[in-house]
Amino acid sequence: MGEIILTMKGIDKTFPGVHALDNVDFELYKGEVHALMGENGAGKSTLMKVLTGIYRKDKGTITYEGKLVEFTNPREAQQAGIVIVHQELNMLGHLTVAQNIFIGREYMKGVKIDDARMNVEASKLFKRLNIDIDPTEKMSNLTVGKQQMCEIAKAISHEAKIIVFDEPSAALTESEVDELFGIIRDLKEKDIGIIYITHRMDEIKIITDRVSVMRDGAYVGTLISEDSTKNDIISMMVGRIIYEEPKTKSTVAKDAPVVLKVENLNAGRSVQDINFELYKGEILGFSGLMGSGRTETARAIFGADPKESGNIYINGAKVEINNPEDAVKHGIGYLSEDRKRFGIVVRRTVSENSTMANLENFMKGIFIDKKKENTETEKYVESLAIKTPSVDQLVVDLSGGNQQKVVLTKWLVKNCDILIFDEPTRGIDVGAKSDIYKLMNELVKEGKSIIMISSELPEVLRMSDRVIVMCEGRKSGELRIEEATQEKIMHLATLDD
Amino acid sequence: MYQIKQNPVVKKLGFNRIVLSMVLIAMYCFFAIFAKNFVSYNRILSALNYAYFLGFLALGVTFVIATGGIDFSIGPVMFCAAIMSGYLLTHYNWPLWICLIASIAIGALFGTFNGYLVAYKNVPPFITSMAIMQISKGVASVFTKAQSVSWPQLAHENGWYRNLIRVRVGNMYFPVGLVILLITAIICAIVLNKTKMGRYFLTLGSNKEALRLSGVRVRKWQMLAYTICGLLAGVAAIFFVAAYTTVQPGYGDQYNNEAIAGCVMGGTSMAGGLASIGGTFIGGMIISILQEGILAIGLNKNYQLVITGIIVIVAVYLDVLSRKRRV
Ligand SMILES: Nc1ncnc2c1ncn2[C@@H]1O[C@H](COP(=O)(O)OP(=O)(O)OP(=O)(O)O)[C@@H](O)[C@H]1O
Ligand SMILES: [Mg+2]
Repeated sequence: MGEIILTMKGIDKTFPGVHALDNVDFELYKGEVHALMGENGAGKSTLMKVLTGIYRKDKGTITYEGKLVEFTNPREAQQAGIVIVHQELNMLGHLTVAQNIFIGREYMKGVKIDDARMNVEASKLFKRLNIDIDPTEKMSNLTVGKQQMCEIAKAISHEAKIIVFDEPSAALTESEVDELFGIIRDLKEKDIGIIYITHRMDEIKIITDRVSVMRDGAYVGTLISEDSTKNDIISMMVGRIIYEEPKTKSTVAKDAPVVLKVENLNAGRSVQDINFELYKGEILGFSGLMGSGRTETARAIFGADPKESGNIYINGAKVEINNPEDAVKHGIGYLSEDRKRFGIVVRRTVSENSTMANLENFMKGIFIDKKKENTETEKYVESLAIKTPSVDQLVVDLSGGNQQKVVLTKWLVKNCDILIFDEPTRGIDVGAKSDIYKLMNELVKEGKSIIMISSELPEVLRMSDRVIVMCEGRKSGELRIEEATQEKIMHLATLDD
Repeated sequence: MYQIKQNPVVKKLGFNRIVLSMVLIAMYCFFAIFAKNFVSYNRILSALNYAYFLGFLALGVTFVIATGGIDFSIGPVMFCAAIMSGYLLTHYNWPLWICLIASIAIGALFGTFNGYLVAYKNVPPFITSMAIMQISKGVASVFTKAQSVSWPQLAHENGWYRNLIRVRVGNMYFPVGLVILLITAIICAIVLNKTKMGRYFLTLGSNKEALRLSGVRVRKWQMLAYTICGLLAGVAAIFFVAAYTTVQPGYGDQYNNEAIAGCVMGGTSMAGGLASIGGTFIGGMIISILQEGILAIGLNKNYQLVITGIIVIVAVYLDVLSRKRRV
């Protein structure tokens, strides 16, 4: 390994009611991939925001390339060679991919922006990184995964010496993650220091050299990735060991009735002729690559997007679902994969977000029963271990994983019979993940049914009673959990006909 | 600073509102010192005349801004309501109380139309309200054949509506209007903060799509915000004529900006999702005293426009600054 490029020492940062960073140390070598791990709200993103000048630290020193530095805004950090790929996407939907990548440093032709040149440059960049995206495409037309890849490409296009990835893989499918790892290995060759935040344990061994762990805003320690086991890291993170066993047998009753039946559903290119049934008490996994149409299928069922044709039956009766309101009335809830755009209301509080889908039940006459609302929310804050000073905290001030838990709370409060969870554990730490799995199992035991869209194969295999695989807008196969393996799923997901 | 903000009393009242109240008092003192005869009962009554109609306008537009929208038509809509209902009263001899209701209804109608276009037809509120501004001016002119309308004086048999702003008690006046405005503000605050409607307004101002995907009929609620805004413009019309009696078609633009300024100054965010009725109330007062004060220190009406314009910029800029941290 090369020489030290960055040393952070004794970093301290306090927000109202939260001691987010408590005397944290961190160190990075040139050409090193250094993982940063810790539970939701441990302070990982905050530490990186302090490094890149988004937040001012209260105490501590940052030494970069042998000099003490203090960046007051992200631009300064960028110019010095430190860039960050944020946990939340920061792309402007109405601009093209190329315009987004070169925003703030556009190529000019006199006073005019030279779009042609930017498209060419972006193409070159994508080719170099082996990414297949059209630079002239409008950003909002891309899937979350593709947007994330653009975000990564943008960061790399700066001549950086340190690149911070804040949970880059959370929005990516397995194959895209492989692409990302290829890119990272390339950067490593060039002696660039990489800080890699993730909640996925299996990535540690594959891509990182060392891993530092944070807990409750404090630095716990650093391990050499090669010499440490998953359990070493987990116990450092949460102070306990978590067992994960794949499901081997369906837990659905033999005579369970069909609660939801989807027949010949069509909605654009991504949803073609979809047929399936969901049984009472079942967790039905939806697997497939990014862009295979899983989210689009869910949105069409839920009425979030218009459908062209197809029938939906609930408990045997045909229903008309033309908008989310109809869907919710029929007892369907949909947790979106894109929490920032479709999930959370950042400027409102935790409790307001939690009761949003079910305000009718929190009324006392014409007034909202604030007490009842808070009590109910506190229940979930406790059971899901949402890290927040109070239920009156604005959601914008929560960490990414905790925001995800708040969106989940919304649908739990609504108490729907059919839940469609689109990437339910995105950005959620291992400990909380197993809590959410437990909760999902409890929900189906109570007789609810869950459709779980997930890009993490281990998650699909661990939770599902049955797996539907999609490929290019079509259902390419269906597997009972007893017969499902990673290989079989991947095979179905990449069928080309 | 942080210490002060965390003080429980300050927290309860709201830091912004305390600062705002101090600005109001400071401004009053400024004019008291530099303007002739500013500290007189008549001056206060005159400033209040302005504060009433502006207050209702500002309260109304607060709902719209809370949803992330904007309404540039409230001033002309207020004029249109005052002119049309006044014409019904003076030319067609409709009973006064029906005319007052008509004024409110006209305002609500314009607001609903505006809201319908915004919510159901996805036209940007900036555009729709500009169009409605023109339409309302035109409608008023056509209705009265471009004549101005004078509402009756107090002595007239139909003059009792003027008691809505003040009644004579001995040789003093009691400001009834202030009481009505205050009560309306309290109702607005309750609606915004304690009812489902207000909650939905604020939520859809922050993330409309998330609310829609929660199964809420967002279009309906979004439209309703404009209806309320228009309705309060109709109420404002009554208080405008109760203070000034004469209204002329083709005017009223200036009051949009003043109402929006009062609202934003009071802490309602132009980006939607955050709103303060108390702030709007005080903000409206500040604008009104400013109008009176500018005249009192001997500057003419044009200065009013310049100074109010500057205040709008400063208020919006401060809003942007204070929200910078949370994108
Ligand atoms: N702007 C802010 N205002 C108030 N509190 C904040 C703010 N930003 C972060 N926090 C709090 O600081 C703590 C650390 O947050 P941070 O985002 O760094 O967590 P994280 O380790 O990145 O978690 P995750 O894995 O969920 O992304 C959290 O408790 C969070 O609520
Ligand atoms: Mg984070």
